[in-house]
Amino acid sequence: MLASARTGASLALRAKPTAHLANLPVRVAAASISSSSRKDSTAAAVQAHGSSSAGGGLVKRERKEVPLPSQEGTKGVLQYALTTLDQITNWGRQSSLWPMTFGLACCAVEMMHLSTPRYDQDRLGIIFRASPRQSDVMIVAGTLTNKMAPALRQVYDQMPDPRWVISMGSCANGGGYYHYSYSVVRGCDRIVPVDVYVPGCPPTSEALMYGIFQLQRKMRNTKISRMWYRK
Amino acid sequence: MSYITRTLGNIRKIGIKEYWHQLQYIGDTKAGVLMGTDKFGNKYYENNDELPLRTRWVDYAKHDFDPSQIEPLWHMWISYGTDKLPSEDLNAHTKRSWANPANTPNFTATRGAFKTYSTVKPKIQSWEPIAAPRQ
Repeated sequence: MLASARTGASLALRAKPTAHLANLPVRVAAASISSSSRKDSTAAAVQAHGSSSAGGGLVKRERKEVPLPSQEGTKGVLQYALTTLDQITNWGRQSSLWPMTFGLACCAVEMMHLSTPRYDQDRLGIIFRASPRQSDVMIVAGTLTNKMAPALRQVYDQMPDPRWVISMGSCANGGGYYHYSYSVVRGCDRIVPVDVYVPGCPPTSEALMYGIFQLQRKMRNTKISRMWYRK
Repeated sequence: MSYITRTLGNIRKIGIKEYWHQLQYIGDTKAGVLMGTDKFGNKYYENNDELPLRTRWVDYAKHDFDPSQIEPLWHMWISYGTDKLPSEDLNAHTKRSWANPANTPNFTATRGAFKTYSTVKPKIQSWEPIAAPRQ
Protein backbone atom coordinates (compact mmCIF):
# COMPACT_ATOMS: atom_id res chain seq x y z
CA MET A 1 0.00 0.00 0.00
CA LEU A 2 2.80 2.29 0.95
CA ALA A 3 4.54 1.60 -2.32
CA SER A 4 1.50 2.44 -4.36
CA ALA A 5 0.98 5.69 -2.46
CA ARG A 6 4.57 6.59 -3.12
CA THR A 7 4.21 5.92 -6.80
CA GLY A 8 1.10 8.04 -6.87
CA ALA A 9 2.82 10.92 -5.15
CA SER A 10 5.83 10.72 -7.38
CA LEU A 11 3.61 10.54 -10.43
CA ALA A 12 1.82 13.65 -9.28
CA LEU A 13 5.13 15.40 -8.83
CA ARG A 14 6.42 14.21 -12.15
CA ALA A 15 5.63 16.08 -15.31
CA LYS A 16 3.89 13.60 -17.54
CA PRO A 17 4.20 13.83 -21.30
CA THR A 18 0.53 12.88 -21.56
CA ALA A 19 -0.42 15.91 -19.49
CA HIS A 20 1.33 18.11 -22.03
CA LEU A 21 -0.60 16.54 -24.85
CA ALA A 22 -3.80 17.17 -22.94
CA ASN A 23 -2.80 20.80 -22.57
CA LEU A 24 -2.29 21.28 -26.24
CA PRO A 25 -5.88 21.97 -27.37
CA VAL A 26 -6.19 24.60 -24.66
CA ARG A 27 -3.08 26.25 -25.95
CA VAL A 28 -4.32 26.18 -29.54
CA ALA A 29 -7.60 27.71 -28.44
CA ALA A 30 -5.72 30.42 -26.63
CA ALA A 31 -3.65 31.07 -29.72
CA SER A 32 -6.75 32.10 -31.58
CA ILE A 33 -7.10 35.19 -29.42
CA SER A 34 -3.47 35.95 -29.96
CA SER A 35 -2.69 38.88 -32.19
CA SER A 36 0.27 37.23 -33.79
CA SER A 37 1.06 34.17 -35.81
CA ARG A 38 4.33 33.33 -34.15
CA LYS A 39 2.51 31.34 -31.51
CA ASP A 40 3.20 27.94 -33.03
CA SER A 41 6.95 28.24 -32.73
CA THR A 42 6.84 29.17 -29.07
CA ALA A 43 4.36 26.43 -28.37
CA ALA A 44 6.63 23.97 -30.09
CA ALA A 45 9.55 25.21 -28.07
CA VAL A 46 7.60 24.83 -24.84
CA GLN A 47 6.54 21.38 -25.81
CA ALA A 48 10.03 20.32 -26.76
CA HIS A 49 11.28 21.62 -23.45
CA GLY A 50 8.54 19.76 -21.64
CA SER A 51 9.32 16.48 -23.27
CA SER A 52 13.01 16.82 -22.58
CA SER A 53 12.39 17.46 -18.91
CA ALA A 54 9.67 14.84 -18.62
CA GLY A 55 12.14 12.35 -17.23
CA GLY A 56 13.69 15.07 -15.13
CA GLY A 57 11.04 14.88 -12.44
CA LEU A 58 10.49 18.64 -12.40
CA VAL A 59 7.06 19.85 -11.37
CA LYS A 60 5.38 21.55 -14.29
CA ARG A 61 2.69 24.05 -13.55
CA GLU A 62 -0.26 23.98 -15.90
CA ARG A 63 -0.07 26.70 -18.48
CA LYS A 64 -2.71 29.37 -18.08
CA GLU A 65 -3.49 31.84 -20.82
CA VAL A 66 -4.80 35.22 -19.70
CA PRO A 67 -5.56 37.95 -22.26
CA LEU A 68 -2.97 40.69 -22.26
CA PRO A 69 -4.14 44.11 -21.05
CA SER A 70 -3.80 45.33 -24.63
CA GLN A 71 -6.09 42.57 -25.84
CA GLU A 72 -8.98 43.39 -23.54
CA GLY A 73 -11.76 45.30 -25.22
CA THR A 74 -13.67 48.31 -23.96
CA LYS A 75 -16.99 47.60 -22.26
CA GLY A 76 -19.51 50.11 -20.98
CA VAL A 77 -19.84 53.86 -21.09
CA LEU A 78 -17.53 54.51 -18.17
CA GLN A 79 -14.71 52.50 -19.71
CA TYR A 80 -15.06 54.45 -22.94
CA ALA A 81 -14.88 57.73 -20.99
CA LEU A 82 -11.84 56.55 -19.09
CA THR A 83 -10.24 55.38 -22.32
CA THR A 84 -10.55 58.89 -23.69
CA LEU A 85 -9.00 60.29 -20.53
CA ASP A 86 -6.16 57.82 -20.85
CA GLN A 87 -5.64 58.69 -24.48
CA ILE A 88 -5.31 62.38 -23.65
CA THR A 89 -2.86 61.67 -20.84
CA ASN A 90 -0.85 59.26 -22.95
CA TRP A 91 -0.73 61.69 -25.84
CA GLY A 92 0.67 64.31 -23.49
CA ARG A 93 3.17 61.91 -22.01
CA GLN A 94 4.48 60.48 -25.22
CA SER A 95 4.91 63.83 -26.92
CA SER A 96 7.04 65.37 -24.20
CA LEU A 97 9.55 62.79 -23.11
CA TRP A 98 12.26 64.39 -21.09
CA PRO A 99 15.11 61.97 -20.67
CA MET A 100 17.56 61.94 -17.84
CA THR A 101 20.85 61.35 -19.58
CA PHE A 102 22.77 58.66 -17.88
CA GLY A 103 25.62 58.48 -20.35
CA LEU A 104 28.23 56.11 -19.02
CA ALA A 105 30.29 55.05 -22.02
CA CYS A 106 30.45 55.07 -25.82
CA CYS A 107 26.68 54.54 -26.11
CA ALA A 108 26.33 58.06 -24.80
CA VAL A 109 27.94 59.34 -27.99
CA GLU A 110 25.19 57.72 -30.02
CA MET A 111 22.68 59.16 -27.61
CA MET A 112 24.16 62.60 -28.26
CA HIS A 113 23.82 62.01 -31.99
CA LEU A 114 20.12 61.65 -31.44
CA SER A 115 19.93 65.21 -30.27
CA THR A 116 21.96 66.61 -33.16
CA PRO A 117 20.26 67.95 -36.30
CA ARG A 118 20.35 64.75 -38.30
CA TYR A 119 17.97 62.89 -36.00
CA ASP A 120 16.77 65.93 -34.14
CA GLN A 121 14.97 64.57 -31.14
CA ASP A 122 13.56 67.99 -30.31
CA ARG A 123 10.93 67.54 -33.00
CA LEU A 124 9.64 64.57 -30.98
CA GLY A 125 9.52 66.69 -27.84
CA ILE A 126 12.54 64.99 -26.34
CA ILE A 127 14.71 67.40 -24.40
CA PHE A 128 17.62 66.18 -22.31
CA ARG A 129 17.44 67.28 -18.72
CA ALA A 130 20.38 67.28 -16.40
CA SER A 131 18.21 66.93 -13.33
CA PRO A 132 16.33 63.78 -12.40
CA ARG A 133 13.58 65.86 -10.80
CA GLN A 134 12.53 67.16 -14.19
CA SER A 135 12.80 64.00 -16.24
CA ASP A 136 10.47 61.16 -17.22
CA VAL A 137 12.80 58.72 -18.89
CA MET A 138 16.23 57.56 -17.89
CA ILE A 139 18.40 56.39 -20.78
CA VAL A 140 21.11 54.21 -19.29
CA ALA A 141 23.74 54.39 -21.99
CA GLY A 142 26.85 52.40 -21.36
CA THR A 143 28.59 50.11 -18.94
CA LEU A 144 27.19 50.26 -15.46
CA THR A 145 29.94 49.58 -12.98
CA ASN A 146 29.53 48.49 -9.40
CA LYS A 147 30.79 51.86 -8.27
CA MET A 148 28.19 53.71 -10.33
CA ALA A 149 25.27 51.46 -9.40
CA PRO A 150 24.27 53.24 -6.15
CA ALA A 151 24.33 56.56 -7.98
CA LEU A 152 22.13 55.15 -10.72
CA ARG A 153 19.63 53.88 -8.20
CA GLN A 154 19.63 57.17 -6.36
CA VAL A 155 19.01 59.11 -9.55
CA TYR A 156 16.20 56.74 -10.43
CA ASP A 157 14.65 57.19 -7.00
CA GLN A 158 14.79 60.95 -7.41
CA MET A 159 12.77 60.88 -10.60
CA PRO A 160 9.07 61.67 -10.18
CA ASP A 161 6.40 59.23 -11.26
CA PRO A 162 5.61 58.25 -13.98
CA ARG A 163 9.10 57.23 -14.96
CA TRP A 164 10.54 54.91 -17.52
CA VAL A 165 13.95 53.43 -18.15
CA ILE A 166 15.57 52.66 -21.48
CA SER A 167 18.54 50.37 -21.27
CA MET A 168 20.80 51.19 -24.17
CA GLY A 169 23.50 48.89 -25.46
CA SER A 170 24.65 45.43 -24.54
CA CYS A 171 26.58 46.60 -21.48
CA ALA A 172 23.49 48.10 -19.91
CA ASN A 173 21.33 45.21 -21.10
CA GLY A 174 23.34 42.41 -19.62
CA GLY A 175 26.92 43.35 -19.01
CA GLY A 176 27.85 42.80 -22.64
CA TYR A 177 31.55 42.72 -23.29
CA TYR A 178 32.30 43.25 -19.61
CA HIS A 179 29.92 40.56 -18.39
CA TYR A 180 32.72 38.64 -16.68
CA SER A 181 34.47 41.66 -15.26
CA TYR A 182 34.85 41.90 -11.52
CA SER A 183 33.59 45.45 -11.37
CA VAL A 184 30.63 45.59 -13.74
CA VAL A 185 26.94 45.12 -13.00
CA ARG A 186 25.61 42.42 -15.31
CA GLY A 187 22.74 44.44 -16.64
CA CYS A 188 21.20 47.62 -15.28
CA ASP A 189 17.94 45.73 -14.75
CA ARG A 190 19.56 44.40 -11.59
CA ILE A 191 19.40 47.94 -10.24
CA VAL A 192 16.33 49.57 -11.82
CA PRO A 193 13.25 48.21 -13.64
CA VAL A 194 13.78 48.54 -17.37
CA ASP A 195 11.03 49.21 -19.93
CA VAL A 196 12.87 49.03 -23.23
CA TYR A 197 16.10 47.25 -24.05
CA VAL A 198 17.96 48.58 -27.08
CA PRO A 199 20.43 45.97 -28.35
CA GLY A 200 23.70 46.83 -30.03
CA CYS A 201 27.28 47.63 -29.21
CA PRO A 202 26.75 50.55 -29.42
CA PRO A 203 23.27 50.81 -30.90
CA THR A 204 22.94 53.31 -33.69
CA SER A 205 21.01 56.50 -33.11
CA GLU A 206 18.26 55.03 -35.26
CA ALA A 207 18.11 52.04 -32.94
CA LEU A 208 17.78 54.27 -29.91
CA MET A 209 15.12 56.28 -31.68
CA TYR A 210 13.29 53.07 -32.46
CA GLY A 211 13.54 52.18 -28.78
CA ILE A 212 11.97 55.52 -27.96
CA PHE A 213 9.19 54.76 -30.42
CA GLN A 214 8.65 51.45 -28.69
CA LEU A 215 8.43 53.25 -25.38
CA GLN A 216 5.88 55.64 -26.86
CA ARG A 217 3.94 52.67 -28.10
CA LYS A 218 4.01 51.23 -24.61
CA MET A 219 2.76 54.53 -23.23
CA ARG A 220 -0.08 54.58 -25.73
CA ASN A 221 -1.24 51.22 -24.48
CA THR A 222 -1.01 52.14 -20.80
CA LYS A 223 -4.35 52.04 -19.02
CA ILE A 224 -3.88 54.60 -16.30
CA SER A 225 -7.36 55.55 -15.12
CA ARG A 226 -8.89 52.26 -16.23
CA MET A 227 -6.52 50.36 -13.96
CA TRP A 228 -7.28 52.78 -11.17
CA TYR A 229 -11.01 52.26 -11.71
CA ARG A 230 -10.61 48.50 -11.68
CA LYS A 231 -9.15 48.70 -8.19
CA MET B 1 10.41 75.21 -40.10
CA SER B 2 7.28 75.08 -38.10
CA TYR B 3 6.10 78.64 -38.19
CA ILE B 4 2.41 79.37 -38.16
CA THR B 5 2.03 80.33 -41.81
CA ARG B 6 3.43 76.98 -42.90
CA THR B 7 0.96 75.15 -40.69
CA LEU B 8 -1.94 77.28 -41.90
CA GLY B 9 -0.92 76.88 -45.52
CA ASN B 10 -0.67 73.13 -45.13
CA ILE B 11 -4.09 73.03 -43.44
CA ARG B 12 -5.48 74.87 -46.44
CA LYS B 13 -3.96 72.25 -48.73
CA ILE B 14 -4.93 69.11 -46.87
CA GLY B 15 -8.11 70.07 -45.06
CA ILE B 16 -9.18 70.03 -41.43
CA LYS B 17 -9.88 66.29 -41.30
CA GLU B 18 -6.44 65.32 -42.55
CA TYR B 19 -4.91 67.93 -40.27
CA TRP B 20 -6.50 66.30 -37.24
CA HIS B 21 -5.46 62.86 -38.46
CA GLN B 22 -1.85 63.96 -38.92
CA LEU B 23 -1.82 65.55 -35.50
CA GLN B 24 -2.76 62.19 -34.01
CA TYR B 25 -0.08 60.25 -35.82
CA ILE B 26 2.88 62.28 -37.05
CA GLY B 27 2.35 65.27 -34.78
CA ASP B 28 2.94 67.74 -37.58
CA THR B 29 1.06 69.26 -40.48
CA LYS B 30 2.47 68.26 -43.82
CA ALA B 31 1.26 68.40 -47.36
CA GLY B 32 2.86 66.06 -49.86
CA VAL B 33 2.44 63.88 -52.88
CA LEU B 34 1.23 60.34 -52.30
CA MET B 35 4.08 58.28 -53.69
CA GLY B 36 2.59 54.86 -53.12
CA THR B 37 0.97 52.37 -50.83
CA ASP B 38 2.56 49.15 -49.66
CA LYS B 39 0.77 45.84 -49.26
CA PHE B 40 -0.19 46.60 -45.67
CA GLY B 41 -1.94 49.82 -46.68
CA ASN B 42 0.65 52.24 -45.32
CA LYS B 43 0.73 55.38 -47.40
CA TYR B 44 4.01 57.06 -48.30
CA TYR B 45 4.27 60.77 -48.98
CA GLU B 46 6.99 63.05 -50.22
CA ASN B 47 7.43 66.78 -50.30
CA ASN B 48 10.90 68.02 -51.17
CA ASP B 49 10.18 71.53 -49.92
CA GLU B 50 10.41 70.30 -46.34
CA LEU B 51 13.63 70.38 -44.38
CA PRO B 52 16.23 67.77 -45.33
CA LEU B 53 15.49 64.31 -43.86
CA ARG B 54 11.91 65.29 -43.18
CA THR B 55 10.81 65.13 -46.79
CA ARG B 56 9.43 61.59 -46.72
CA TRP B 57 6.91 60.28 -44.27
CA VAL B 58 4.46 57.47 -43.80
CA ASP B 59 0.84 57.35 -42.81
CA TYR B 60 0.36 54.02 -41.10
CA ALA B 61 -2.62 51.85 -41.83
CA LYS B 62 -2.87 50.47 -38.31
CA HIS B 63 -3.78 52.51 -35.28
CA ASP B 64 -1.20 50.68 -33.18
CA PHE B 65 1.53 51.70 -35.55
CA ASP B 66 5.14 50.71 -35.43
CA PRO B 67 8.03 51.44 -37.81
CA SER B 68 8.57 47.72 -38.28
CA GLN B 69 5.29 47.55 -40.19
CA ILE B 70 6.97 49.33 -43.09
CA GLU B 71 7.77 47.00 -45.96
CA PRO B 72 11.53 46.46 -46.50
CA LEU B 73 11.83 48.20 -49.87
CA TRP B 74 9.73 51.10 -48.69
CA HIS B 75 11.92 51.23 -45.60
CA MET B 76 14.89 51.63 -47.93
CA TRP B 77 13.13 54.50 -49.63
CA ILE B 78 11.85 56.27 -46.55
CA SER B 79 15.25 56.16 -44.84
CA TYR B 80 16.88 57.72 -47.91
CA GLY B 81 18.74 54.60 -48.96
CA THR B 82 17.50 55.06 -52.50
CA ASP B 83 15.60 57.69 -54.43
CA LYS B 84 13.79 55.14 -56.58
CA LEU B 85 10.41 53.90 -55.56
CA PRO B 86 10.11 50.15 -54.88
CA SER B 87 8.09 49.77 -58.07
CA GLU B 88 10.94 51.03 -60.23
CA ASP B 89 13.87 49.91 -58.10
CA LEU B 90 16.05 47.25 -59.74
CA ASN B 91 16.84 45.80 -56.32
CA ALA B 92 13.21 44.84 -56.05
CA HIS B 93 13.54 42.45 -58.97
CA THR B 94 16.70 40.73 -57.72
CA LYS B 95 16.00 37.19 -56.67
CA ARG B 96 16.95 36.60 -53.07
CA SER B 97 16.15 33.05 -52.14
CA TRP B 98 17.66 33.47 -48.70
CA ALA B 99 15.56 36.47 -47.79
CA ASN B 100 12.37 36.10 -45.83
CA PRO B 101 9.62 37.16 -48.26
CA ALA B 102 7.24 38.02 -45.44
CA ASN B 103 7.79 41.20 -43.47
CA THR B 104 7.75 40.27 -39.81
CA PRO B 105 6.71 43.16 -37.56
CA ASN B 106 8.01 43.64 -34.06
CA PHE B 107 6.20 41.27 -31.72
CA THR B 108 7.21 43.05 -28.54
CA ALA B 109 4.34 43.32 -26.04
CA THR B 110 2.24 40.80 -27.92
CA ARG B 111 1.86 37.05 -27.53
CA GLY B 112 4.44 36.50 -30.21
CA ALA B 113 7.16 38.17 -28.15
CA PHE B 114 10.35 36.22 -27.79
CA LYS B 115 10.78 34.28 -24.61
CA THR B 116 14.01 32.59 -23.75
CA TYR B 117 13.96 28.88 -23.33
CA SER B 118 16.58 26.36 -22.45
CA THR B 119 17.93 24.07 -25.13
CA VAL B 120 20.27 22.15 -22.88
CA LYS B 121 19.24 19.05 -21.05
CA PRO B 122 18.33 19.51 -17.38
CA LYS B 123 21.21 19.39 -14.96
CA ILE B 124 19.21 17.40 -12.42
CA GLN B 125 18.39 13.83 -13.28
CA SER B 126 15.87 12.29 -10.95
CA TRP B 127 14.69 8.74 -10.93
CA GLU B 128 11.45 6.92 -10.56
CA PRO B 129 11.67 4.61 -7.58
CA ILE B 130 10.35 1.23 -8.54
CA ALA B 131 9.49 -1.05 -5.67
CA ALA B 132 8.75 -4.66 -6.43
CA PRO B 133 5.32 -5.60 -5.09
CA ARG B 134 5.31 -7.94 -2.12
CA GLN B 135 4.67 -11.48 -2.85
